[in-house]
Amino acid sequence: MLTIEPFSIYIMICVLAPLLGAFTLLFLFIFEKRIDLLEQHTREIALERELQTALYNQLNSEIQPHFFFNTLNSILSLARLDRKTELIRSIETLSKLLKFKYQTNNSVITIEDELTYTGYYLEIQKTRFRDRLQFQITTDPNVKQAVIIPFLIQTFVENAFKHAFEKHIGDASLKIDVKKIEKEVHVTVWNNSFESQVEIPTEGGLGLENIAKRLELLFPNEYTKVDFKNSVNETTVLAIFPFVIKSDKLGG
Amino acid sequence: MKREDYQFYVSGAIKLGISFGVVSLLARWVTGNTILASPETLIKYGLTGGIGYSLMGALALILFGLLAKKIRERYPDQHTIGDVLRLKLTPSGYWYMITVLLITSLDSLFVQAMGAGILIHMISPLPIFIGMLLFLSFCFFVGGVGGMQRIHQLAGINVSLIFGAVIIIPVYFFIQEGVFPVYEGIKLYHPYLLYIKNTEAIWFIFTAILIGFGQVLIDRATWQRVFIIKKEKVRMTFTLAGLIWATIPLALSSLLMIIIFGRSYENIYSLIFELIEKIQSTVLIVLFVLFCFSAISSAISAEIHATTSLFVRNVLEVFRKLTDREKWKYTYIFSGAICVFLFVIVTILTPNPLELLFFFGNIYASMIVPMFYIILSKRKLPSLIPFASLIGAIGGYLVLPFTENLLAIWLSFAISSFICLCFTFYKWFN
Repeated sequence: MLTIEPFSIYIMICVLAPLLGAFTLLFLFIFEKRIDLLEQHTREIALERELQTALYNQLNSEIQPHFFFNTLNSILSLARLDRKTELIRSIETLSKLLKFKYQTNNSVITIEDELTYTGYYLEIQKTRFRDRLQFQITTDPNVKQAVIIPFLIQTFVENAFKHAFEKHIGDASLKIDVKKIEKEVHVTVWNNSFESQVEIPTEGGLGLENIAKRLELLFPNEYTKVDFKNSVNETTVLAIFPFVIKSDKLGG
Repeated sequence: MKREDYQFYVSGAIKLGISFGVVSLLARWVTGNTILASPETLIKYGLTGGIGYSLMGALALILFGLLAKKIRERYPDQHTIGDVLRLKLTPSGYWYMITVLLITSLDSLFVQAMGAGILIHMISPLPIFIGMLLFLSFCFFVGGVGGMQRIHQLAGINVSLIFGAVIIIPVYFFIQEGVFPVYEGIKLYHPYLLYIKNTEAIWFIFTAILIGFGQVLIDRATWQRVFIIKKEKVRMTFTLAGLIWATIPLALSSLLMIIIFGRSYENIYSLIFELIEKIQSTVLIVLFVLFCFSAISSAISAEIHATTSLFVRNVLEVFRKLTDREKWKYTYIFSGAICVFLFVIVTILTPNPLELLFFFGNIYASMIVPMFYIILSKRKLPSLIPFASLIGAIGGYLVLPFTENLLAIWLSFAISSFICLCFTFYKWFN
């Protein structure tokens, strides 16, 4: 049988427990909004930081002398051959590419903008690679206004050039496919690679970790995925993230 | 969303955060059952039973919270339990489940209304039918006509009154009386309450957890709240609601000890309301009465609202597409009919709440595993899964004359689980 001491403790718990419950509820009412704001703020800062890292990686890896000199040489040969229209077009595209790169400070852009930017890059590469390069971009019209992190497609495309096309002579095929599947956007970048290719790049070396992290930060609590598949003669990178229209995302 | 939209009635206009979510769940789950059945468990199973009752509610809500997150992820476009059932079941399975939901709704509403009836009988100088008429009219206007928004407007007041009463009244009495006289009084009149090595109580606690979980799992109002709480906050909201809810039956059990410590009792169900005779201060009497009415009215309003939404959205609309105007019309008619039904039946019958809970316990327990299948499976399920609960419940009722109530409940649970497992193995091998 219960003695007086445990009984007193039992009564004390019974009397104090609702007080504790009420305090918890009160605390939630006062601080929930602030905690939410803090969380959102932290997420924004992290996203910003990751974007800076991405920008840094981009500038480091892409505006490398190799790419830049090759592009300039291609432009120079157009001038020597007196192909004025192509020359003007190439310089204009290079200028737009650089402008976009330096002006992008937003943590989200639309898929349409990202594809335009990737288009500039591919156009410049086309002046370099000429008929060797074949690319195809397929986009579901519904997803054009959906949000994406800047340089996602661009990074995938650059990897194809850096690790496959620039190292070997031969046809360079690239396919970009952006589609909506249920409530998700699937971005696939496929490129052919070569059997003699010995170097298999790691995911870290491709900037995929940064992309996965940025997707997680942009879509917390939602399903996101970056998948890299490298086989003997082809490489596919797939990114999956929720379908969100830009106005919805800005509206919170 | 416009106010005329029927969706406004079903879900309200805003998504709830943790704090409002907890308040909404507390308003739903601090019910007449809590007030009537928690003293009963204390008397029947001693202090262990009192703690067990709190544990049951807390665990049921916390466990459901784990599932609620999955529900939100898998069914982003649904609004009621009926929507999900329709998506996952064949027509026969769907109609069986809807029937069970409507029957359990009426049972739950009936227990609440009975609690209100006893309270009115004890405190009001008015005849019981006039009191009930006023009380049910109030619930009709909140749950039936007002919809989710009106329920949430009042939920804050209800929960404040509930906490006000369960904090102030026990503190007042224990300061006035002290713990020792209460202990001595209980030792003299009700020593059985102080025996804690009570295996029957532990058996009861586990069974109560099973029933409680089953009850939450098929509760229409709780499902509606799952769909209006912000997705990333669903689990935390249910966990906190469970923990905070558990404190209320504990406080009620301490109140009960104040009532019974110096005397014996005649009627176990009206025991908690006899507190009114013990309270000298008018302010505290008013607070206690408001607490009881708040708890019961918020639960009845939430139940009326959920059952009506289920009936209009998942019964009437299955037969033909309704305009918003028609939906509103049927809502008023159906919720009005529920109130009239409750009014008539409460003035005629007075059964035993805990027995009623345990009578439906077989249904609640046998629903658990089929509901898991419904929530977690990716494909449409055959009728066998929902009907497993019917077979389980019938099995439990059949053995009832030969065995005790609690064992029959476990048997119901075991039968329906076994059928569902057999189905899984059958699917694996084919």
